[in-house]
Amino acid sequence: MITIENLTKYYGKNRAVNNISFTINDNEILGFLGPNGAGKSTTMNMIAGYLPMTAGKVTICGSDISKEPVKAKRNIGYLPEIPPVYPDMRVREYLSFCAGLKRIPMVKKSSEITRVMQLLKITDVKDKLIKNLSKGYKQRVGFAQALLGDPKFLILDEPTVGLDPKQVTEVRNIITDLKKDHSVIFSSHILSEVSAVCDRVVIINKGDIKAIDTIENLEKQTGGSLMLHVKIKGSRTAAANIIEIVKGVKEIAKIEAEGNDFYEFIVQITGDGDAVRSDIMSELLKNSIQITEIYTEKPDLESVFVQLINSKTSKSGIEELYEEIKAETADNAEKEEE
Amino acid sequence: MFSVYKKDLQSFFYTPFAYVVTALFLFMFTYMFNSGLGTLDQATFSFTFPDIFYNVIIFFIFLIPILTMRTFADERKFGTEVLLMTSPVNVVQIIVGKYLANITVFIFMLASAMFFPIFTAIKGEVVVSQLICAYLGFFLWGAMYIAIGQLVSCFTENSIIAAILGEIVMFVFLFIDNFAMTDFIAQYPTLQAFLYAFAAQPRFAYFSQGFIRLSDIVFFLSAIIVCLVWNYIAIEKRRWNRG
Repeated sequence: MITIENLTKYYGKNRAVNNISFTINDNEILGFLGPNGAGKSTTMNMIAGYLPMTAGKVTICGSDISKEPVKAKRNIGYLPEIPPVYPDMRVREYLSFCAGLKRIPMVKKSSEITRVMQLLKITDVKDKLIKNLSKGYKQRVGFAQALLGDPKFLILDEPTVGLDPKQVTEVRNIITDLKKDHSVIFSSHILSEVSAVCDRVVIINKGDIKAIDTIENLEKQTGGSLMLHVKIKGSRTAAANIIEIVKGVKEIAKIEAEGNDFYEFIVQITGDGDAVRSDIMSELLKNSIQITEIYTEKPDLESVFVQLINSKTSKSGIEELYEEIKAETADNAEKEEE
Repeated sequence: MFSVYKKDLQSFFYTPFAYVVTALFLFMFTYMFNSGLGTLDQATFSFTFPDIFYNVIIFFIFLIPILTMRTFADERKFGTEVLLMTSPVNVVQIIVGKYLANITVFIFMLASAMFFPIFTAIKGEVVVSQLICAYLGFFLWGAMYIAIGQLVSCFTENSIIAAILGEIVMFVFLFIDNFAMTDFIAQYPTLQAFLYAFAAQPRFAYFSQGFIRLSDIVFFLSAIIVCLVWNYIAIEKRRWNRG
């Protein structure tokens, strides 16, 4: 388990990471989500022991990374944002060097290198110079390096950037497979990726944690109610009257005419989506209105994300309020002058 | 430590780098050797190897920075510093590993230069004891310059700048005794003594005359240790201040 307690990082006077705490459990894929410049890479660099923290503590399998760095670093494999490869080395040479750095015993070395090369499908480029490889291959060589020695924890900083769609799927599958006996922290600013792979997500913006939860919970919490789409054939007003009084319907958000007595109702509902849906269906059918299509739509993860990113922490809220007041008084003064 | 050493050695010897540097070194050596031979009839003193070494050292200013400029600058440039820093090795091991790799290339250069004494021994006479002392002094001086070059290399991301900075520092170290001997500095005896304490040239002069003095060895070794410790501090400090 990795425990992160009150981690803070200042670059000079700039605060990059502000007092964040979370844990990464065993056999878990934790997504680390945030817009560019949110402090993702800084946090990962601190967890991996590259950057020292201004304050706080990172514990990996019980060893503090700043007090027992060598012991703690044995349990992690790190793929930084830019793959740390030497352009003048051949792939196999490079992996052999990394295996030495990670103190993999001589006996196991060769089999271990073969294993990671097969896993990432780089066996066919093993004798090429790294500088001649494409971005996607370099990324995979960097990833292979992180997997050497089978560390318990993997820290991957945007592992799919620069890969083509097929490779992205492959890398995602590898990450999902790793879950069996590893824990993975994996940063991204691509939502669909995180929701496809991760068990939990940490959403971070401007150095503050905005949310730590499972994707489902996040959707429930902030998205609020589900949207139900009902397409019918028949009288619009009759259908509207029926739908409105069904228990669990909050409001009819929109009615769209689709020509020739076909209408689509977009209904905002509260509570259990399935129950409300079957109620609406039976009520409509009772009144002999035909249903051509009915489905519930989950609130868009994108909007959840945007909402969380823009949500204000208490402190910044007050600061912004002050600024607003200042701006207002300035505006008023200008108007008076006019 | 061994893996860092091995990797750096590979980067020297699997590429033309080590051979080109050695060739340059031998070229300078040859030039000095030939010009020594050419002026043999006009020379006041007998022609000796320590003299050649003495003259070749001036070219060290250009040669050693080329050898050491990439040591840390390239690690930073390619982002591979992250790999080293997040691996279960500590910074001391990285520095020592890299230093030993640089030293190994230097020894390779010195070993190649053995050609000249061997050649001379066949055709003429070589004072072996003097030669050994000169070699030792030469090695220690080079080792000190490599430590300086390596230190300078960790201050910048650009290897060319690292080389030029290294050249300036080494130039100062080479001519500090000449500077200390100027009339201007001679007005301040304390300052003169202080500057003179840093001079490596007179210490090498003892070696080239066939003296091995403990104080000279201690001077070079302590300079090496100071540079390597400073190297460690500089790397750690930059990690803390980064950004």
